[in-house]
Amino acid sequence: MPERRGYGRIYLLLTVLLAASVLASAALGAFRFTPAEMFRYLLQAIGISEPAATDALARNVFLHLRLPRVIVAGLTGAVLGVSGTLMQGVFRNPIVEPGLAGTSAGAAFGAALVFVLGERTTLAFTQPLGTLAVPLFAFIGSFLATMLVYRASASFGKVNVFTLLLAGIAVNAVCTAGTGFLSYIARDPQARNITFWNLGTFTTANWRGTIVIAVVFAISFAALSRHGKSLNALMLGEDEAASLGIDPSALILRLIIINTAMVAVDTAMVGVIAFIGLVVPHILRMLWSSDYTFLIPASALAGAFLMEVIDVIARFVISPAELPIGIITAVIGAPVFLWILLRQQRAGSVVVDG
Amino acid sequence: MVELRDVHYRAGAAHIVRGVSLAFRARKFNVILGPNGAGKSTLLKLATGLLEASEGAVIYDDEPVKAIGVGPLARRRAVLSQHVELAFPLPVEDVVMMGRYPHFARVPSQHDRDIIAQALEVVEMTAFRVRSYSTLSGGEQQKVQLARVLAQIWMDDQQTGEKYLFLDEPTSNLDIYYELHLLEAARALLARGCTVIAILHDINQALRYGDAFFVLEKGRLAQETDDESAISAELLERVFRVRARRATDARSGETFWRFDPG
Repeated sequence: MPERRGYGRIYLLLTVLLAASVLASAALGAFRFTPAEMFRYLLQAIGISEPAATDALARNVFLHLRLPRVIVAGLTGAVLGVSGTLMQGVFRNPIVEPGLAGTSAGAAFGAALVFVLGERTTLAFTQPLGTLAVPLFAFIGSFLATMLVYRASASFGKVNVFTLLLAGIAVNAVCTAGTGFLSYIARDPQARNITFWNLGTFTTANWRGTIVIAVVFAISFAALSRHGKSLNALMLGEDEAASLGIDPSALILRLIIINTAMVAVDTAMVGVIAFIGLVVPHILRMLWSSDYTFLIPASALAGAFLMEVIDVIARFVISPAELPIGIITAVIGAPVFLWILLRQQRAGSVVVDG
Repeated sequence: MVELRDVHYRAGAAHIVRGVSLAFRARKFNVILGPNGAGKSTLLKLATGLLEASEGAVIYDDEPVKAIGVGPLARRRAVLSQHVELAFPLPVEDVVMMGRYPHFARVPSQHDRDIIAQALEVVEMTAFRVRSYSTLSGGEQQKVQLARVLAQIWMDDQQTGEKYLFLDEPTSNLDIYYELHLLEAARALLARGCTVIAILHDINQALRYGDAFFVLEKGRLAQETDDESAISAELLERVFRVRARRATDARSGETFWRFDPG
């Protein structure tokens, strides 16, 4: 019962937090910008005011390095937050997230295939076809990995957590080994890029990639708006959901496709960032509600907010150098993961009925 | 009326339901009886449209169940099974609201909210409205699930047409207090025009609460009767592989069954 419990106020709070974090993330870093400067560059960029020659360097840094980075960070947080929510709904378990179920690693492997092997073919990253090939291969790798983990862990409408964890470990190991092999046979600049990218980074953000991620996220998010109710019903189990008029297998397949599309396209650009998908829905569940009609939009806002904060931290911890994003998210996320797992085990519900 | 016409169900090599034809009695308490493995649950799933028959047809008010979409079907029949656990904490009223999901697109109407309140009233769980479902006892949880299925096929709905409530061993995890409470609540629905179709494993409770009895044996209908006295000791002994003896309660004069290992 959304209105009565006042989800509106929570959305407003999260939006304000997100706006503040975006502003901070845009302003802070090796180059610092005042709000007035940022406003001026934006006006200049859309041609409302004349570009002043003295601004050229700062303006370029802001418009072509900082701004896409801030947007990609926000989108990545939103994608991973929503993805965690979806996957926890599909697997009916709070420990699942794209990093665990092979979704991210599969995408990374698919993308790395094109980065390294595409060079000898028409799929080279620099070719027009290559721009499309990276997200496409990322999607294929990601989808296969996720489906494999889902099929291995779900049987007769129930998800077994032990099989889920083991299948996740195995699929992640294969994908990581594949990516590792590719970076080994790659020539040096590429190899270093893959290593860095495998830990998650926003430094490579550019406008073209930003637009692709934004479009895919917008379409996925719009497609999800009908599914909050279905995910709630799925909490009851597949048979119960079916008797409420939902086709569970069709729903699960559709959600895995939407989820994989978002995560793959994003991962192809920023690399593997684990634990955001775990932590964001968890905090929202703890603070407010497990209702998916609330969690889907809220995890987009909260995920974006958290990612902006982490990106700012990444710029300052070892400044002037930058820390890979994945290192920070792992430091924050791994303890949360262990905590949830231990709590589940104490509650005796590690094997969750579907 | 829900009818099964020469329904078969095969899963791989197993022939689980072997040509069952029956018509559940409208606005009555229909009970399906039978030993483990007789195909009761499969039969119920076929009747609810959750499974598709390998052969034969399931008919809802002269309409094949296959021709009714999953959405419209969900507004005509609801299914309560044994025990539903939730992987995530949700307040009781959110769980009951799921019963209204087939009736609204995105946001529940005031009408939906009123139905939730009344359904909780019927099962005497109004006080638990905002409690987290997972903190309730098994019996309380089952009452909440009953409220959910009641809300799904609520009688005062603008939707007209017959409503069917299917119960798949709904009392198997309940103590006697909740068992009686749930069976009484189900019987009370008949007066409001609902048809109840239940699998019950306690034969005495089944005979006491049921109006029509369908005894399943190895995927076939062994007996169909509206008269509980037509159920013989021989039939029960053969089907359930026990010794059965009818006894009479000295005070009320009601008969009940006593069972011993066969």
